[in-house]
Amino acid sequence: MSARFDVIVIGAGHNGLAAAEALAKRGKSVCVVEQSDAVGGMACDRLAHLLYNPAPSGVETREIDTVSLSPEGAHVLIRRGEARFTSGQPHPDAAAYQTLYRRLVRYASLLHQLAEAPPPGLEQGVTSLAGLRELSRLARLGVGVKRLGKAEMREFLRILLTNAYDLLLDEMPDGPLPGALVADAVRGAFAGPRSPGTVLSLMYRLRNGGGVFLPAGGMGAVAGAHAEGARRAGAEVRCGLGVTRVIVEGDKVAGVLLSDGGRLDASAVLSSVGPMQTMRMAGIAEFDIEAVRRARKLRAKGSTAKLNLRLGIVPEFTGLSAAQVKARLLVAPSVAEVERSFNPAKYGDLPKQPVLEMVLTGGTGPSTLSIIAGHVPENGWTTDRRESFTASVVETIERFAPGFGSLVEEADLLTPEDISAMTGAPGGHWHHAEMGLDQMLTTRPTVGMARYRFGVAGLYLCGASAHPGGDVTGAPGRNSAAQVLADGVA
Amino acid sequence: MGQHDRYDAIIAGAGHNGLTTACYLARAGLKVLVVEKNDWIGGAAVSRSLHEGWTYSNCSYVCSLLRREIVRDLDLPKFGLQVIPYEGGATFTANGDYFAYHSDHDALRREIARHEPRDVDAYDRFSQTVIRQCRFIRPFLLRSAPDPTSFKINDLQELLYLVKRAHGLGSRELAETLRFWTMSIGDFLDEHFENDLIKAHLAGSGIIGTGLGVYSPGTAYVLLHHYMGDVDGAIGAWGFARGGMGAISKALGDCLEEAGGTIVTGSGVDRFLVEGCKIIGVALDNGDEYRAPIVASNMDVKRTFLEHTDAKDLPEDFTRAVKRFKIRGSSGKLNIALDALPDFPAAPKGANFLRGDLHASESLAELERAYDDWKEGRWSANPYFDMLIPSQIDPTMAPPGKHMMTVFVQYAPYALEKDGVCSGENWTEEAKKAFAETVFDKIEQVCPDIRSKVVHAEIRTPRDIEREVGLTEGNIFQGELTFDQLLFNRPVPGYANYATPIEGMYLVGSSAHPGGGVMAAPGANAAREILKKLGKGAAVAAEAA
Repeated sequence: MSARFDVIVIGAGHNGLAAAEALAKRGKSVCVVEQSDAVGGMACDRLAHLLYNPAPSGVETREIDTVSLSPEGAHVLIRRGEARFTSGQPHPDAAAYQTLYRRLVRYASLLHQLAEAPPPGLEQGVTSLAGLRELSRLARLGVGVKRLGKAEMREFLRILLTNAYDLLLDEMPDGPLPGALVADAVRGAFAGPRSPGTVLSLMYRLRNGGGVFLPAGGMGAVAGAHAEGARRAGAEVRCGLGVTRVIVEGDKVAGVLLSDGGRLDASAVLSSVGPMQTMRMAGIAEFDIEAVRRARKLRAKGSTAKLNLRLGIVPEFTGLSAAQVKARLLVAPSVAEVERSFNPAKYGDLPKQPVLEMVLTGGTGPSTLSIIAGHVPENGWTTDRRESFTASVVETIERFAPGFGSLVEEADLLTPEDISAMTGAPGGHWHHAEMGLDQMLTTRPTVGMARYRFGVAGLYLCGASAHPGGDVTGAPGRNSAAQVLADGVA
Repeated sequence: MGQHDRYDAIIAGAGHNGLTTACYLARAGLKVLVVEKNDWIGGAAVSRSLHEGWTYSNCSYVCSLLRREIVRDLDLPKFGLQVIPYEGGATFTANGDYFAYHSDHDALRREIARHEPRDVDAYDRFSQTVIRQCRFIRPFLLRSAPDPTSFKINDLQELLYLVKRAHGLGSRELAETLRFWTMSIGDFLDEHFENDLIKAHLAGSGIIGTGLGVYSPGTAYVLLHHYMGDVDGAIGAWGFARGGMGAISKALGDCLEEAGGTIVTGSGVDRFLVEGCKIIGVALDNGDEYRAPIVASNMDVKRTFLEHTDAKDLPEDFTRAVKRFKIRGSSGKLNIALDALPDFPAAPKGANFLRGDLHASESLAELERAYDDWKEGRWSANPYFDMLIPSQIDPTMAPPGKHMMTVFVQYAPYALEKDGVCSGENWTEEAKKAFAETVFDKIEQVCPDIRSKVVHAEIRTPRDIEREVGLTEGNIFQGELTFDQLLFNRPVPGYANYATPIEGMYLVGSSAHPGGGVMAAPGANAAREILKKLGKGAAVAAEAA
């Protein structure tokens, strides 16, 4: 079975689908090929639960509060820059928190410009039309920064590369309130709050204002909406079909070989999986040695586990109203604790006190507590270790919800190893590649591969290992589609 | 010693930067006074005879970063400065092996191949990258930092210089530079090398004096900071100043006196005297007062402004920014008088590399764990050390046949934890002894007979360094070398060019650009700014090729 398309997209994750939709809307014939039986990739209920920078997808979303749980019972209710105690009492650091939050959001909105387009690059030189366009983009960013005013601009340049630990503790005493913000800064990253660069990742998360959203119908609905959007635009989505090889003829992409033996011809192929996997599919020999070395050394160490606990009934948390239990619940009692929780992962050990982000979702049954737990080691997940970790998470929750353990009917743990096997994410890393300063923007995933073009003419990266990285936003997909169109290959 | 003596310029603190500024100003014809709290000059570049017959470089201990342009300008060799490069070094393993870092390139390649053949080419790639980065950064050390928020001609010129140099790199190299500046040394080494021991040996320079771990982004820059010096033009080489690090300060002091400057020791500055936003002089601890329209402080930014300046003389946001500047103690030191050279059973007899820098940390994980201890307010249970025996090359440091050993230790916190409280006060004699025991235990892994050879040992904790030298928290760089505190952010955004909110008052120590180490660059750059302001634009430390 053979057929011809303008573009083939490998992987029907939300990025692949976003890329397909963008290309199909511009009249290209697109086929998305997905190995598993379902669309969505990491945007599925088992793996993801909340949206932080939602892309328009036709799915209704509801903004929810955050509760940062305190071991002393002084839980903090947070919504964007506003904070108070769950009891209704004002929080002594609310003003300091709000000032800092607003400042971060203001700076982050500048970065938003950078996210919604291929990263800036001046390889075409400064005198070509393309070069001038790039210069004007950078100039606009520069003007945006200068418009902040001298004092704010200085502060922006000061904190841009600093760490979340110092940023927060310079403004307020340690506790669940700063703990919540630094936990957000490091979730999904192989970093602790003291690591430089964590303010930048926090700002990336806040670039749309920083709200936390629950999608109606769950993450599966978001994935479905992306697939619907792609189909409506005219793209074909075929599930249950894997790609065994990207065919390269004469240094150009010619199509793909499928797991059922068929072949699809195309002038452009977009890959949602990581760089090393993509190279293997096309054949390592097609790539320059430096590029292969860099792809092999890409920093992609998954450090987050997902735990889905099916519960008999909705749990009761001490000190929280029934409505507050439905918020995003965080166990991040202090900045120091979040840092401490990160240390063991560096040595392949489990955290003594895991940092948790939890939310009650519809899920399968009356109630599921969907938990993102960090920081965990990437490998070495024996059965014992899996049980021990699950138990320690349940124990942690018990401290805030006495009797919680007895409500758990079923536990579904996904470690970085599992996530890698399920979705092809390198190392099981949420963002496919660490969102470190050296792997962002013009150097994401590595030097020379940062604008979606991936070595061979007509081959592109469209997943989270490309700019601007992970989270369910569809931005890498859209940006890579824009690059394909700009290059005129399909 | 007059009560109200007038000078053209007063320098508070006779550290090497203060002395450098003083020399340049004196040579330009100003009447210069340097005041120093200790009875000796040099700050952290000193040679102290703490045990009869031995000389300790008891703070800084090796020389590389001292800008040769400054050495040339101030004729320091004429005043006795002689820096002898040392060769090589090694990291020893617990199981009796070692990795020797030979200065001879081929010998080094053979040694790397002995541990991991794949790393031989990796090393060439690694050192090329580091040298390229050094070459890029060196010219910036002797220039004021560019201020991107300013439209003043000077600042635009500096920015343009930066852009010009960056453009000259080419886009791929520029991207590499940005990566290098933002990576951790651990990740950078993981990218190049396979062998843990080799990585651990190279990683040390990324954490010396720093409150960061080998996997903290920004430590690749710290490594660069340690490589960008030179000895006689050999970039990255380190050497011993004959007579100890005090020889540098002595040469600067003699240069100053020949140029007509005055140094007063034994009493430090109690207060910087300000009248109507302008500096008018200093008041010392002993009550003496001196007047000058220009006053430069060699103390770190916190000490200068939070302890010796009236808060009412400073704008509030400046004070807040100074309070926020991070100066964290993370290092300790042992200076040891030895009866004889200790035994190094793992090394071949008479090995040359024993005259270099010696270490015993075998893996990046070990180094990272040492950092984790520091975060909790403890000294590292398994510390990293940078150990040298300069008396093997410099006979002036110890009596004949005997030796002097310097051991720099990472990590030791300033605020030591005890019973849940972290404080500098917890460095009791007991704690100091326990710290020394930890270090000796580690040294014993390399030299089993070390304890039997010790004649005298000086134990220096961050608290001791703070008290004696005047460095806040005993931080050797007068402030962390992270991006929120470098270039135009150092020490405070908007005040990165040595001037302060007080007219006529300048900051000339390592809290200013380009940061710490015995570089003398801040001192020289500050002198340039001061002389420019006075219209005496002399060429100060013009960039060498």
